[in-house]
Amino acid sequence: MLRTAHVKIATAAAGLALLASACGTTSGGGTTPSAGGGRAKPPSLKALGSVGAGEGTVNILAWAGYAEDGTTDKTVDWVTPFEKETGCQAKVQVANTSDEMFEKMGSGTFDVVSASGDSSLRMIYAGKVAPVNTALLTNYADVPAFEKDQNWNSVDSVAYGMPHGWGAQLMAYRTDKVKPAPDSWSVVWDPGSPYKGAITNYDSPVDGIAAAAVYLMSTKPDLAIKNPYALDQKQFDAAIALLQQQKPAVGTYWASYTDAQKALESGTTVVGSTWQIIVNLAKADKAPVESVLPKEGATGWADTWMVDAKSPHPNCAYLWMNWETKPDVQAQIAEWFGEAPANTKACALTTDKTHCDTYHAQDEAYFSKLWFWSTPQSDCLDGRTDVKCLPYSQWSKAWSSLRS
Amino acid sequence: MTALPPAGTSVAPGVPAGRRLSAWLSGRPRVRLAALLAPPAIWLTLVYLAALLALLTTAFFSVDEFTNAVTRTLTLSNVRDVVSDPAYLRASARTVGVAAAVTALCTVIAIPMAFFMAKVAPARSRGLLVALVLTPLWASYLVKVYAWQAMVQPGSGVIAWVLRPLGVDGPGYGLMAVVLTLTYLWLPYMVLPVYAGLERLPDSLVDASADLGAGPWRTFRNVVLPLAYPSIVAGSVFTFSLSLGDYITVQIVGGKAQLLANIVFANYAANLPFAAAIAIIPVLITVAYLAVVRRTGALDNL
Amino acid sequence: MGTEPVTMRWDPQLSGPRAGRRLYGALVSTQPQPDVDAARPAIRLRGLRKRFGTGPQAVDAVAGVDLDVRDGEFLTLLGPSGSGKTTVLRLIAGFELATAGTIELGGVDVTRRAPFERDVNTVFQDYALFPHMSVTDNVGYGLRVRKVGRAERASRTQEALDGVRLGHLGDRRPAQLSGGQRQRVALARALVNRPRVLLLDEPLGALDLKLREQMQVELKAIQRQVGITFVFVTHDQEEALTMSDRIAVFDGGRIEQLGSAADVYERPATPFVAGFVGTSNLLSGAAAEQVLGRSGTWSVRPEKIRLDLDDEPAAEAHDRSATGVVREVVYVGSATRFVVDLDAGASLVALQQNVQTSSSDVDAYRGRRVRLHWDPRHEVQVADPATAPTAH
Repeated sequence: MLRTAHVKIATAAAGLALLASACGTTSGGGTTPSAGGGRAKPPSLKALGSVGAGEGTVNILAWAGYAEDGTTDKTVDWVTPFEKETGCQAKVQVANTSDEMFEKMGSGTFDVVSASGDSSLRMIYAGKVAPVNTALLTNYADVPAFEKDQNWNSVDSVAYGMPHGWGAQLMAYRTDKVKPAPDSWSVVWDPGSPYKGAITNYDSPVDGIAAAAVYLMSTKPDLAIKNPYALDQKQFDAAIALLQQQKPAVGTYWASYTDAQKALESGTTVVGSTWQIIVNLAKADKAPVESVLPKEGATGWADTWMVDAKSPHPNCAYLWMNWETKPDVQAQIAEWFGEAPANTKACALTTDKTHCDTYHAQDEAYFSKLWFWSTPQSDCLDGRTDVKCLPYSQWSKAWSSLRS
Repeated sequence: MTALPPAGTSVAPGVPAGRRLSAWLSGRPRVRLAALLAPPAIWLTLVYLAALLALLTTAFFSVDEFTNAVTRTLTLSNVRDVVSDPAYLRASARTVGVAAAVTALCTVIAIPMAFFMAKVAPARSRGLLVALVLTPLWASYLVKVYAWQAMVQPGSGVIAWVLRPLGVDGPGYGLMAVVLTLTYLWLPYMVLPVYAGLERLPDSLVDASADLGAGPWRTFRNVVLPLAYPSIVAGSVFTFSLSLGDYITVQIVGGKAQLLANIVFANYAANLPFAAAIAIIPVLITVAYLAVVRRTGALDNL
Repeated sequence: MGTEPVTMRWDPQLSGPRAGRRLYGALVSTQPQPDVDAARPAIRLRGLRKRFGTGPQAVDAVAGVDLDVRDGEFLTLLGPSGSGKTTVLRLIAGFELATAGTIELGGVDVTRRAPFERDVNTVFQDYALFPHMSVTDNVGYGLRVRKVGRAERASRTQEALDGVRLGHLGDRRPAQLSGGQRQRVALARALVNRPRVLLLDEPLGALDLKLREQMQVELKAIQRQVGITFVFVTHDQEEALTMSDRIAVFDGGRIEQLGSAADVYERPATPFVAGFVGTSNLLSGAAAEQVLGRSGTWSVRPEKIRLDLDDEPAAEAHDRSATGVVREVVYVGSATRFVVDLDAGASLVALQQNVQTSSSDVDAYRGRRVRLHWDPRHEVQVADPATAPTAH
């Protein structure tokens, strides 16, 4: 542990130097509506000018299920064809949390990352990732406009990544234990829940607290929460209180998707926050598990492939992003992982022709209802100027305290 | 040649360099001592103390409130957060409780095991018994912890299955499972020193106690235990500090329970200075523990 | 041996300091010895066997021992290492359980009893003092275990320590004592419990010669004073001869001979005893026929043999005599050992006091022809090696 801490300091210091040289102190002058409101501009980094020949290797930091090479399931493999086609050997590491991704990026250890909204903006402002040259992204044009220039993938209309796909933080439940089939988050938040002790929650400061806020939006309208990532002190305290009250009923806070899958399969947990892929894997193991998007709405993720600012293999990184967002590959990923593909041309290629409809891939209205992971800031994301919202550091502290 | 033998030391020509060096050194005890002490001293200061110092310093750094990136602005807020939030006080108490319970369980199990190995089993089977005690150490830590996950799993776990006919539930995931698993993991670290200590204990002392009229329990309490005490303390330093720093077992079988090391792990990526501030707690606890142990005088006999 | 120890008086000749008297006082003044049936032995061993290990590697450490130890006697178990003497002691103490046979203490069968249920105490070869306790606590341990009251315990412990002249060292740890002092503590710790029998397992083995000789005298004195039965294990024949009322000579897990010191020395029953207790000096077969004029195996102790140069006048007519050549001369200070190869074929050792000779004189004997002669009464027939149970 001490050694790790030591290394961390070195990398943190390196990142810090970059940040300090590039962004200086907070100016508070700029008004960038959606991203980094009130903050200085991100460090100015150059996007790649052109894609040359591959460097032979690409290091990928990805969510589970995003870069399958056939080891999980023989038939699920889009990494091997990529390697054959481009000559770039893909070295994939699976990350469990956004914090882990934030921690590991920025040093050139990895070339690309499938960043989610609760870390992408932080990575941009920390200078960990470079802008992308959308002209070099062969599939960028096929991404619906409503997914572009969002506060998790762009700053000042400068794109920092290639949209990959999106989905909701669903609720998983054991069909044999949770009856009737739930349609509300109340089964996990209600103090009288019959599933006390077998409830699971995702161990993430941003999603954890925002999920409580989403539930409060419909159950405590007088709190006037407009955006679950923009909480003033009173709203924040209410969310934390809800989490504290839920804590005795929680069996596990899952951080690793395999642990979450095992817990569902063994019945250790019977209901709670999940990813579709966890449910898919559990069902593949013949576990009686289903998922549902509860009526209160949900948090969601919109993932973006981003290039490390110090990427040693930028050509392969672009080749990877282009490969990963090809219609046929997007179709495979979307069905395997259970998400809406960013490239809607994939919708024609899925084996289940209703897949895109199920996941509302082209449904802008649905998309706008999900609360995609964002990094909380003191200048409220919902545009309020009369109060200060709690920034990410407070969220992570509160979560740490809650979990202790 | 700079390393020529000094006047008065005659070394025959054609003697290998290594021997010549030895001969040269043999007349210079201070040089010898310096050469001997240099590597451990360098190791201790550079690797060990420097890392601790870095940890200590980091605890006083700040983070950017938006990115949580470390900035080198000195602040007491991390330490204040740790001290003022009762959640961390509770977590510290919980961690010490688990470490103490693991140490106590290890001691209770290790003493009869070690006693059997050192005093009852035939001398020629002792090597085998020691090897058997060590065998689990050859297995991967994760394999062992996951094995215990299968043991304590609620409902379908081995313990639950064994206890079901008695109408009792297994421990399930939680602190109890953590204590059981850690006890299993660290037991060899307690058995070995206690075994070594008991093996050094002459059989005649046990005989003498019985000869003077003491029953087995009395002999154990008055003779074996006091003489094995320093080795028990030595073992407890291992079991206690290893328990204090573990987080993987807690993640796997602890349910939602968190010990200090889990909090460090959960925060090191998001907020390194805060994680460092938390990490100082187990360091302080260990120092306090060693101080208490030292007061008992047990370390003098190691 | 007297069965009423109370009537025994201190013999100043045996004392150095008045150790025994004080220990005696400590042990018998407050509690008279229990009445003991004189006819009943303190220890009775019958058919005692102890086997270690199993299968082909099994060893019979004790292979059938019958022994009665009289009350109040000083009995020594003498033998080489591995002869079973220590195992017998441990069987009596209860540290080992007998494979077969019975052990009675004062008429009570204790064969299956634990050590702490037997009224014996042991002085261990390594003393086995508890290193974490003071000398006082060591000595008082047995009393504490037996729940003797604090006041009585303190006074008896102090008396016992005074008895071994260590009254001033009660606060020390064993590690701070010399070997001889530890030995005394071990003795006091055992005797303070007033056992029926005291077992001593080579207690003097670790001491240097001077101290050992002093302790031999002291131990014997103490034993006479307290009147407790002592069973003493040693491999040192001189120690055995010096101290014992009776000696049991062990070999191969059996008792070869049981008798007084004089019996064992002067009239060894077997060649093993003749060899182990003193120097063997055996004549047998043709040599016996030629020199003694009789068959069988005979022993003559070296100090019974006189040695003259062959050209000196013959000794008295009734003396036995034999001629030979001096092969080896060993000067041992007060005496000289001559190893003589007899013309008749055997070799004998003759021990001559150096009344008027010195080392340079005796060296001149090497290679000389000499005549040995001795009184035939000192010829002792020992069992024929061919038929003796423990022939070597």
